[in-house]
Amino acid sequence: MSAYAALSRAVYKAAVRDATTVFFTFAFPLIFLVIFALIFRNQEVADTGRGYVDYIAPGVLSWGLANAALFGVAFTLMQWRNDDLLRIIRLSPTSIWSVIGSRYVVALGIGAAQCVLFVGVAMLPVFGMRPDPTWPLAIPIMLLAVTAFLALGLIVGSAANTPEAVAAIANCVVVPMAFLSGSFYPLELMPDWLQEVSRVLPMRYVNDGITYAFTGFGTMTDYLVSCAALVAFTAVFAVVGVRTFRWSNDS
Amino acid sequence: MSSIDSPAIVLDAVSKSYGEVRAADEVSISIGRGEFFGLLGPNGAGKTTLIEMIEGLRLPDTGTITVLGMAPAPRNLDLLPRIGVQTQRSAFFTRLTAREHLVTVAALYGLPPATAEKALDLVGLTDSGDVRVTKISGGQRQRLAIASTLVHDPEVVFLDEPTAALDPEARRDLGQMLRNLKAIGKTIVYTTHHLDEAQTLCDRVAILSAGRVLALDSPRELIARSGIGTRLVVPAGRLSPEQAGTLDGVNGVAVEDGMLVLRTAHTARVLAALDGEADLDDVETRPATLEDVYLELIGAPQA
Ligand SMILES: Nc1ncnc2c1ncn2[C@@H]1O[C@H](COP(=O)(O)OP(=O)(O)O)[C@@H](O)[C@H]1O
Ligand SMILES: [Mg+2]
Repeated sequence: MSAYAALSRAVYKAAVRDATTVFFTFAFPLIFLVIFALIFRNQEVADTGRGYVDYIAPGVLSWGLANAALFGVAFTLMQWRNDDLLRIIRLSPTSIWSVIGSRYVVALGIGAAQCVLFVGVAMLPVFGMRPDPTWPLAIPIMLLAVTAFLALGLIVGSAANTPEAVAAIANCVVVPMAFLSGSFYPLELMPDWLQEVSRVLPMRYVNDGITYAFTGFGTMTDYLVSCAALVAFTAVFAVVGVRTFRWSNDS
Repeated sequence: MSSIDSPAIVLDAVSKSYGEVRAADEVSISIGRGEFFGLLGPNGAGKTTLIEMIEGLRLPDTGTITVLGMAPAPRNLDLLPRIGVQTQRSAFFTRLTAREHLVTVAALYGLPPATAEKALDLVGLTDSGDVRVTKISGGQRQRLAIASTLVHDPEVVFLDEPTAALDPEARRDLGQMLRNLKAIGKTIVYTTHHLDEAQTLCDRVAILSAGRVLALDSPRELIARSGIGTRLVVPAGRLSPEQAGTLDGVNGVAVEDGMLVLRTAHTARVLAALDGEADLDDVETRPATLEDVYLELIGAPQA
């Protein structure tokens, strides 16, 4: 078995064997879906004939994807460093790219599973989401979203030395970002200047891209801009992530 | 360079400082292949710094280090598969079983799961293979850590305080395991605070303090050279310290815990002389130990 495959398996098992991870990754976004469905029950978005769920669901999904990717990677990195596992890897001939690659492929798999579960539930008659035929466009955005937030997770995982610190930092990053990016609340209803602020936040582009894929809201150009923006955010986060990376806590 | 009788490890004038702290001060040590080498010294002496420089995890400020004829730093992919390191904390993959953990570690070296099974067997953990790493007992954790260190069959093994947190039984187990490793020709470098253990296990030891090597030799040679000699402990009331001081062969007299302690390099002569003066029942002879040498070099025992 290659180091990459073995590490992927180890990461995957660690994730699915942790009830907290499973809950926050899969159940938590669904709870938000239920809450928003109750709030906006039976409302249609003016002039479109669409239910609110078509706009809310992509936002909640964006947040769920970003949240899981960032937390998952940050926790793994912090834990592996604290438990001296990074040291063990460092002392074996395995390259750091196998480590990051394995964590990446697991994050992608988890992201895909999240999407399938979440959209499946949102399409149930009680919620009534109706994806457009352009929905496959959500796939590249999902991949890019996981990539960008994984890179951000590397930074958080290097900055934090305890599980509490990871949770605190990650929440401070993700929760305000979700609100400011229109994941929970339509951007159009926010003041103009807040809409401008959202442009420097990666989650806004996840949101825009997934919304376009599922509802056709926006333009193809906006969609491509979202993809490009996520690539750019990934590059910036990856550079910072590599610079802040530490093999152990005591050097 | 990699011939069998070239040394396994060579340190040449290795120094390292952390700010004002000298963690290694001109350390020169050569460790032979198959040697069991102990690094001793109080906390903060620089043992971990030294061992991690040899492993390539830390860089010396000056001096050179060679392991199996190669430089350990920068990260040397030819050298890494030939050394095994036990980290001070037990490092296990999160939420895996003992077996899954070892399979993962084996894979880091490109080795198949069967290798992990062999390592599990080597440390007697086959029956606990499916227990989660968080659930196994202290002694078994230690064995699993050793199995992780040995899974790729390294030539040189580094252990930093492997016996620190063990109960006496687990410590004896581990001692036996280390002896077995030596018997199959591994070079072992280890640090410990248990001087009795070091005395029985190590071919040679280095006693470190404040980054400097104070002594470097086999325990037997260090003890002989120290001139501490043997201590004869005589129960109270058998004879006075003054009388004892006049006995043939006695080098020093002290009263410890109410017992008379005589120091000598000639046990038989003292015993013979003592036989004329007092009852020999319950007189204990205690040969000098590595601990005695250590305490003389380092000073008072640590609080
Ligand atoms: N990463 C570090 N940064 C600063 N000082 C350190 C570091 N590591 C060790 N030291 C200092 O170097 C000295 C030797 O430490 P160490 O090698 O851990 O000793 P030992 O393992 O013998 O207890 C100590 O004074 C310690 O405080
Ligand atoms: Mg130490």
